[in-house]
Amino acid sequence: MTVDGSNGFDDFLESVDRDGAIAETGALAEASLSRRRLLGLALAGAGTALISGAGEAEAASGLPASDVSILNYALVLEYLQASFYTEAERSGALTGKTAEAARVVGSVERAHVRAFRKLLGSKAVKRPLFNFQGTTEQQRPFLKTAVAFEDLAVAAYKGQAPKLKSKAVLAAAVGIHSVEARHAAWMRELFGITPAVHAFDQPASRQHVNRIVASTHFIVQRPEMKARGKPKYTG
Amino acid sequence: MRRNVATDKERAADGVSRRAVLGVAALGALVAAPLVGRLVRLADAFASPSKAQDARILQLVLQLEYTHVAFYEQALQKASLQGELRAFAQTALGHERAHVAAIKGALGAKAGPRPSFDFGPAVRNPDEFKQAAIKLEDIAIAGYNGQATNLTAGTLAAAAKIVSVEARHASWVRTLAGEVAAPEAVDKPMTAKQVSDALREIGLKA
Repeated sequence: MTVDGSNGFDDFLESVDRDGAIAETGALAEASLSRRRLLGLALAGAGTALISGAGEAEAASGLPASDVSILNYALVLEYLQASFYTEAERSGALTGKTAEAARVVGSVERAHVRAFRKLLGSKAVKRPLFNFQGTTEQQRPFLKTAVAFEDLAVAAYKGQAPKLKSKAVLAAAVGIHSVEARHAAWMRELFGITPAVHAFDQPASRQHVNRIVASTHFIVQRPEMKARGKPKYTG
Repeated sequence: MRRNVATDKERAADGVSRRAVLGVAALGALVAAPLVGRLVRLADAFASPSKAQDARILQLVLQLEYTHVAFYEQALQKASLQGELRAFAQTALGHERAHVAAIKGALGAKAGPRPSFDFGPAVRNPDEFKQAAIKLEDIAIAGYNGQATNLTAGTLAAAAKIVSVEARHASWVRTLAGEVAAPEAVDKPMTAKQVSDALREIGLKA
């Protein structure tokens, strides 16, 4: 920022702001869409690079293979979260502010799942089978697990963002990354712990995240391998 | 400090769910629209990331972080913040100071000076403070997110460690204001110009 002349800052801004692109995008979008529908814009931006009017099956054809792989990894995390919140909501075990948060966050995670599936088209991995080991049936275990999932998702997105090659996908991913951080803080507050502990959130590698997810045994191979009617309490 | 208006909040939550669903419906609509091709062309018009561009963007986010520091400092002195709201402001201030230090460290001697500020009633009254804090944290999130595609991978990785902390602050203070903590499915980016205008509106005197 130059000190001589009041235009220094504006000049600097213009130099950064080659993304007048986004401003223009916003203006165009606001003209044709309601403000709320703008929600989908970041994701739609990602979708546009890939979906060329052809069928959904070809949606991911324009993406680098490494981006497809990262998106599928993110999709599994979103499946995990969406299923977890949906099951908790249906269990009827949550009350008050926690029930409200589960409803809001669940609807957002389901939206993320749908958006990624749309983006990936036929390359999208299938939803795994989950057994949340009773954590969706009691408020405290639910919150503790939600905190763990959300913090993990924040770290996972953060680990992958710099590796994404498609700018459109990156723009969508960072818009989701910060939403997961909002969720993490929300669940932490409800659980009764500090929503924001450190000045810097650290990333987690894919290997690390996969190891943690595996350690929960929430993803199961086949439903018929264990005879189980309803999820059980784990105490 | 926390309002107990379950019915309002339930209504809000329902609205949020519907909006999240709408957002995805909009995705489908947008994909088919002519607007879409234009979006892609515009996205492609970004300059390629470079060290020089990183530095320019870091100057912008330094302005953001300076604003946060000054805002929380002044509010802690003048807004009679109590209880968890005070704890929030103190915690956030500590984080924002660390962000300023990190960005100044990255910029070295080229780091811009701290501007002056006039936040008005936002730093003199707890309710005004909460609303301004929500705005400021949301601006930071949108500002960082808006520059993500313009940064080199290394600087992006560093910025990503900061933006999620700002998102945690935003969520926390929304809870303290009795609002839905995370109302959107995707955080919408802001351009550098939009960020600058928003900061000036809130009290930055450039």
